[in-house]
Amino acid sequence: MNKFRKFAFLTTVATYILIFIGGLVRVSGAGLGCPDWPKCFGRWIPPLNIDRLPPEIDPSAFNFTLAWIEYFNRLAGIVIGILILITAILAIRNYRRVKSIVYPSIAAALLVAYQGWQGSVVVSSKLEPFIVSVHTVLALIIVSLLVYVTQRAYYLELGVTTVADLFPKKISRESATLWGAAILQALLGTRVRSAVEELRRAHPLSSDLDLMGMLSPEFYVHIVLGLLVIGFTFHIARALLKKSEQLPGLVRQSIYGMVILMMAQLVLGFALIVIGMPALIQVFHLWAASLFVGLNLVLYTALKR
Amino acid sequence: MNKGKIQLPILLGIILAAFMAIGGAMVIYQAEKSRSSIPELWTVPEFEFTERSGEAFGLDDMKGKINVVDFIFTNCPDICPVMSARMSELYRYYSEYDFVRFVSISVDPQRDTLETLRAYAGSWGADDDRWVFLRAPIDEVVRVMEGGFKLTALELPMGHSNRFVLVDKNGVIRSYHDSFDDADLEALKGNIKQLAKGM
Repeated sequence: MNKFRKFAFLTTVATYILIFIGGLVRVSGAGLGCPDWPKCFGRWIPPLNIDRLPPEIDPSAFNFTLAWIEYFNRLAGIVIGILILITAILAIRNYRRVKSIVYPSIAAALLVAYQGWQGSVVVSSKLEPFIVSVHTVLALIIVSLLVYVTQRAYYLELGVTTVADLFPKKISRESATLWGAAILQALLGTRVRSAVEELRRAHPLSSDLDLMGMLSPEFYVHIVLGLLVIGFTFHIARALLKKSEQLPGLVRQSIYGMVILMMAQLVLGFALIVIGMPALIQVFHLWAASLFVGLNLVLYTALKR
Repeated sequence: MNKGKIQLPILLGIILAAFMAIGGAMVIYQAEKSRSSIPELWTVPEFEFTERSGEAFGLDDMKGKINVVDFIFTNCPDICPVMSARMSELYRYYSEYDFVRFVSISVDPQRDTLETLRAYAGSWGADDDRWVFLRAPIDEVVRVMEGGFKLTALELPMGHSNRFVLVDKNGVIRSYHDSFDDADLEALKGNIKQLAKGM
């Protein structure tokens, strides 16, 4: 593995961890743990106890645990932002003439800078649902760009071999469609979560299970599209595994990974409906979706080369 | 394809997922715990006041419910209308839940007759017993206000507090909230939500 690919791969893994942390912030209700941005309770490092709060801040608004959860998310965001910036610099230095690596790397760096600024909008909007959804979808696009860049570097390192002829072009088109559907599905998922929160404002003391019974058609669209994505994944897996003998290892692993993730999503989604949205399952539901988006891109890149 | 090659990433994936699940569960648990730790302050003393309906109302009537208590008087020129408006908002906000009760106690019993309290309640849209309006001799009110709710009762009726007091289902005071402060009222809602989990 060359230096760039190693770095891009690590950055991708770190970004996935950040997506998980972001999900945790959301479900633990720590999104407004720091009510200001970029500082937290008027300080660069949040107060360690209530006595150190600036006088202009109401002590009843301070929750040590939530402040530090949100602060850790911001710190992780800064570290990953720097990693993505370094990835872009390395791409420009090492692959100046390879547009398929340089452009997505620069796009990821620009988007992560925007994402950082957008974090302030998330806070100042007091977690306005649409803005939170944009924040989530942007994270999926950034991680997709990183996956793509890592993959391209891998194939460049491997040399000029092509497997595209092995597979009907239809399958790579289907894989691209699946990527779009998975992003749309994640967006709908964030809308469902927001819809539950809006219902909670109107029915503040009702259980999540009761609230889910009141959900709008968006919720059913999310379920139906989810089942379609699962069906489509199995269809692509079946079509590719038919060519089992000629499948490169990465393609095979991506397919297995995608099928496992889809089965996990089926179980997690079912658990969310039956148990009533337990926080940890929500995080894994989103995280598995983000892994699926990445693996699907690995597959797409492998089929297109 | 070598079986071992495919099993290793799956195994690593399971280990990673297990670590993340444990870490995630700990973070969520700590966040939940940090919100639910509402201290138990003082127990409300026994009292027997009269509700606007004419019926007796005491500590036993507060027990078994989440109570938001304030002290007002109907001739109050400035503070009380704001307090009652805020209380009225909360009364409507929790309209689905019988177990959340609002208690307004008059600090001017001489002028606040039962009839006056009924008219005042009606003007704020209080049309059921989720929001009760109480009166009692002023000495009794001062005893409960100062000794029980730990609120100052200087130069009544004007010198009453603008705070809402949250009392749990056991008659224990859990928190105080400035009725003029939106953020503090949000904190009150958060505390009610926590207490509702035990209902």
